[in-house]
Amino acid sequence: MFKYLNPKRFYFAVGKKKFWEFIVLAVFILFFYGPLLNMIMMAFANEYEPPHLLATEWGTYWWDFIFQQNSLKSSMIQSFVVAIITTVCSMIICIPAAFSLARFKYPGRKLFMLSFLLTNAFPKIGIFISIGVLFYKYNLMGTLAGVVIIHMITTMMFMVWLPSSAFRTVHPQQEEAARDVGAGPIRTFFKVTLPMAMPGIAVATLYTFLGSMEEAQGTLLVGMGRITTMPVEMYGIIMDYPGQAGAVFGVLLMIPSAVMIFLMRKYIGPDAIAGGFKMK
Amino acid sequence: MNKTNARKRMLIGYALVLPAFLVVMLTVAYPILSSVIMSFQDGKTGEFTLENYKYFFVTESQLKNIGFTLYVVVVTVVLAIVIAYLLALYLRFVKSPISRAIGTLYLLPRFIPGLVAVYAMITIIRDTGVINRIAQLLFNYDFKPAMMYHASGLIIMNLWFNIPFAALMITAGLGAIPDSVIESARDVGASRMRVFRTMILPLSMKDVVVAATFVFMTNVGSFTTPYLIGGNSPKMLGIALYDQFNRYLDYNRSAALSVIMFLICSVSAGIYIYTNLKEKEWE
Repeated sequence: MFKYLNPKRFYFAVGKKKFWEFIVLAVFILFFYGPLLNMIMMAFANEYEPPHLLATEWGTYWWDFIFQQNSLKSSMIQSFVVAIITTVCSMIICIPAAFSLARFKYPGRKLFMLSFLLTNAFPKIGIFISIGVLFYKYNLMGTLAGVVIIHMITTMMFMVWLPSSAFRTVHPQQEEAARDVGAGPIRTFFKVTLPMAMPGIAVATLYTFLGSMEEAQGTLLVGMGRITTMPVEMYGIIMDYPGQAGAVFGVLLMIPSAVMIFLMRKYIGPDAIAGGFKMK
Repeated sequence: MNKTNARKRMLIGYALVLPAFLVVMLTVAYPILSSVIMSFQDGKTGEFTLENYKYFFVTESQLKNIGFTLYVVVVTVVLAIVIAYLLALYLRFVKSPISRAIGTLYLLPRFIPGLVAVYAMITIIRDTGVINRIAQLLFNYDFKPAMMYHASGLIIMNLWFNIPFAALMITAGLGAIPDSVIESARDVGASRMRVFRTMILPLSMKDVVVAATFVFMTNVGSFTTPYLIGGNSPKMLGIALYDQFNRYLDYNRSAALSVIMFLICSVSAGIYIYTNLKEKEWE
């Protein structure tokens, strides 16, 4: 086993091609997962002084510290409430639109499709600032509804484009076959079209939920301190406390993503995601 | 299908798309429009003026911010696309357990909260971070990466976010090229290089452009990364905009800067839309 620790021996043991593949894998893991792993390690370090690479004293001191903060529990609850409401509202509004854009032909279809790109082409802060003026007028500042609207518009494009490309992969013949044996249009949609488009819809839902969980600037501006979600809280913690406190909070923020990815793992694939960035 | 039926279908189509469209019009298009109007107004009198725009093109620090943002974004786009293309080629044409593992692992960074990813990267690149500690332990040398508050830190972070995304787009494009087409070209004697140059590259160009323009758009207005990693001067436009609004409370100037950023993005958005709508010739 130890002979593999010598690069030269390793090279000759596994062969040229494999050797380079291992290098690619190592660089890939170090760059994309190294930071996250290091943060998880830091979360369990009571003391983490340079030049030591690992914790000088292990423990859960900073976990206790974070859980003693009163604001934590309320920010967690608010984060989940906002994320769930945002996801449900976004699905109700956007999935019919996605279906319409995929299945119906009418003048202005491309224009509708493009309008959703606006949310990504105009700087978000610019939108938030002028939406703030509108919100003041209708007393939406500092309210749950205001924050939900902000969260919805940041991920709306994905909630329309991803399912739309998924609906397009369902052949109309498959729907017609269901209609021929006597299923009504609504039944056909729920029994045939929707299940087949599920990968795209699942990924879009994931995007919306996690996008809402991580949204900070808009919540900060529109929530006005009355609605504080976890990322808003984390900005404060990063600024005020030592690195390990931020690491603990970072791990806490990653948990929902990890759970969601695990639950939806069979839907997450390159094609389902890439489809959301194309128009046809 | 008869005429009334077609009409009915059209109406259903409009009815389904309308709620989402109205939400976008009301919460995105209307605010954008009012920003554009505000950017041409004087803060006190409300009269028409170009001063808000002039400010960003004559003030030296603001000009530097625009230049700095373009520099960071362009370097990000070029590096991300080149690396992502190589990664995508590897994932498409090498079939091995390792490439399958990377093929799954590269999907996940997109689902990590941005703030957490930035924070995790800071623990590596800051001057007392992991890079510094490894240098101290291995070479007994107090190496300062000096990436925090510097363009290099921003670019590294942008690469972390955008390489997986760009690789994903390009892999999906490469996946659409059938193996049989490539094999038949090889059978009649085309070299690997030639197959790449005359077939794979042109066929995947559309996805490269779509990925590049999208990366460009999302990075021009980025906020979280420069807020935590970027320096004070010069700064990214996202932060400059936040300052105008939050620190100087100058709504008209922030509106003008939003419009400037929108115009920068719209060049790329234009290319994005054009490539997206162009039909693939070989389909």
